[in-house]
Amino acid sequence: MRQPYDLSRRGFLISGTAAATLGALQAPVLAQEKVFRLGALNSITGIGGPYGPYMLEAIKIAVNEVNEAGGAAGRKFQLFAEDDQTKPEAAVLAVKKLVEINKVEAVVGIWPSSVGLATMPITNDANVITMNTCGAPEMLTENKKGLAWMFQASNAIFGNAFAEVARQRGFKRPAVMAFNNSTFVGQANYFKNAWESGGGKVEAFVIYEPNQSSYRTELARVLATKPDVISLSAYRPDATIILKEWFQTGQDCKFIMPGWTANEDLVKALGKEATEGLISISNVAADKHEAYKRFAAAFRKVAKREPDIFAAQSYDMVITLALALEAAGPQADVAGVNGKIRSVTGVGGTRVNGFAEGRDLLRKGEKVDYEGASSRLDFGKHGETVPDFGVSDIRDGKLVLKETIPGKLPA
Amino acid sequence: MEGYFIAIAISVLVYLLMASGLALQYGFTGLVNFGHVGFFAIGSYASALLALKGVPVPVSLAAAALLAALAAYPIGIIALRLGGDYLAIVTLGFSEAVRMTLQTEEWLTRGMHGLPGIPRLFAGWVEPRYIDLCILLLLVVVCVAVFFAIHQIIKSPFGRVIEAIRDNEVAVRALGKNPAQFKTRSLMIGAGIAGLAGGLQAHYLTFISPEQYVPLITFYIWIAIVLGGVGSLRGVVMGTVLLVGFLEGSRFLRDIFTGISEVQLASVRIWIIGMALICVVLYRPQGLFGKSAERKH
Repeated sequence: MRQPYDLSRRGFLISGTAAATLGALQAPVLAQEKVFRLGALNSITGIGGPYGPYMLEAIKIAVNEVNEAGGAAGRKFQLFAEDDQTKPEAAVLAVKKLVEINKVEAVVGIWPSSVGLATMPITNDANVITMNTCGAPEMLTENKKGLAWMFQASNAIFGNAFAEVARQRGFKRPAVMAFNNSTFVGQANYFKNAWESGGGKVEAFVIYEPNQSSYRTELARVLATKPDVISLSAYRPDATIILKEWFQTGQDCKFIMPGWTANEDLVKALGKEATEGLISISNVAADKHEAYKRFAAAFRKVAKREPDIFAAQSYDMVITLALALEAAGPQADVAGVNGKIRSVTGVGGTRVNGFAEGRDLLRKGEKVDYEGASSRLDFGKHGETVPDFGVSDIRDGKLVLKETIPGKLPA
Repeated sequence: MEGYFIAIAISVLVYLLMASGLALQYGFTGLVNFGHVGFFAIGSYASALLALKGVPVPVSLAAAALLAALAAYPIGIIALRLGGDYLAIVTLGFSEAVRMTLQTEEWLTRGMHGLPGIPRLFAGWVEPRYIDLCILLLLVVVCVAVFFAIHQIIKSPFGRVIEAIRDNEVAVRALGKNPAQFKTRSLMIGAGIAGLAGGLQAHYLTFISPEQYVPLITFYIWIAIVLGGVGSLRGVVMGTVLLVGFLEGSRFLRDIFTGISEVQLASVRIWIIGMALICVVLYRPQGLFGKSAERKH
């Protein structure tokens, strides 16, 4: 059963492939010199798809910044990027490739805790530094060699901050709605614990399944308890639907949401009316720090949009690593570099906002404290960051910073 | 270096085990099972949970296979009296129900937090650096055994009946055989093999979470056996090796063509698989290594 085909279509395919190949071959090839082999393991496809590609973009911006400044301790970064498909088993293979074939000395940009937990045994065995945005508390206990660095506040810290804000704002009847994944369920549980240990009661606690076209049932269950505030742990796609459906009910209620969801993009999707008065919580730093401003400008140029918190964290990972490498010197091994991460971000040094600035001070023998684009980056004893949180209200479509609260682990 | 290839080989063999189960169900019995990953998930969680409770790993693996096979029994009872398309819907629903259960029953499965720290196979028996190699060897042994068993099954009278069911169920009925019973057994055997594959993967990865058991896995297996050729064990092997080999091998494309970004490659990869599938169906509907449509015997 032969299928007819016409030659022009085939010709098109061949010439198209040839053109694509030629284009690909024109890429620059790194000159032979002593390099630091850096792996980027991002969630390009899968659930992390909305964030992973931008994290990789941010990593590239940082790598360029370091390389253009002449490298760290004379070593330029050579980047190897892999997609973990937001899946642990794909991540295991990807990280094995990075470690065994590309011989990377550090892996940055790991997004979900599932990938972080699945790859940690491998990177630990191979003595590779990892930097991630994972929020699962198990990350801290599994970080047995101290090679993993968590750039995102853990769920516990986030949940606590949400409860703290609800209390400070004088809410009495909170309810919880959360997207069903490890990060958000953790956040929701810590909110509940923190609130109830303060002597209150959470009116409704609903975990919803993602990828639905409507969340009316879940929303109705929450709204039936007449809450005065809902802690909504959500990503933008589901938050958009939930808030639209809530707005249609006309019931009076406030929302506390994470900053990577409640922002100007959400206003764009929903309009000013439905988003008026939303409370948005994110790591402070961001727009106040010099590092953020510079990074955001570079990011806008490539990505044509504002960076989200994960992109800022990914940028910080590379800069932190570069400063640690500079501090450790050209002969240092992975353990030596890892040992310097705390010292280039910790308190006591001169505050710096970028790689070149920090490197110059380090060369003079001074101590530096990198104030990142995502937070002030002071690492706790398990490699976790405890950022301060900025509490903003959305007023007339704009985020207005109201107060800052210190992040802290639950008692 | 070799560690990475061992990892790929392990991945191929786990998929191969799953594919062999589906080959028995679809290739030889004609059961359209769209919920294969459900049995895989049951095996993974059963083995992981038992091992975490202190049950020796070999025992927990056996239990995983058994449990997955038992889970297929009720589906057989309910669904096999229905025609092919209905079975597809029921099994797809089943695998999603399994995933939802794993997500929501936190007291048992820790829900979306997943299960970290699952005991590794051979941990404590051999030196850590040889563990992956031992897992690989074990998988080779298991795969060979399973393929031999399936080969024997197909050649047995039971095998002839299930092939007859696939080709013409009415005729089988007319001969006084009860197709439902044979189909249930075939479904259970295939599910048991998937359960075993799940258990082995759990003890290799040491971390599992419900997000791993999405229908995409089922369809990867389907792509593998359709590419290779259904109804042929050689086709199943080649299809799986080609698919997983390509999924992994395409990572190296970028080391050769450095201009392709990871973002583009992720899409290109899926595009190529889609195109390959369409081309195979158009030009070689029996699969790359399948028997031709006009069956000889």
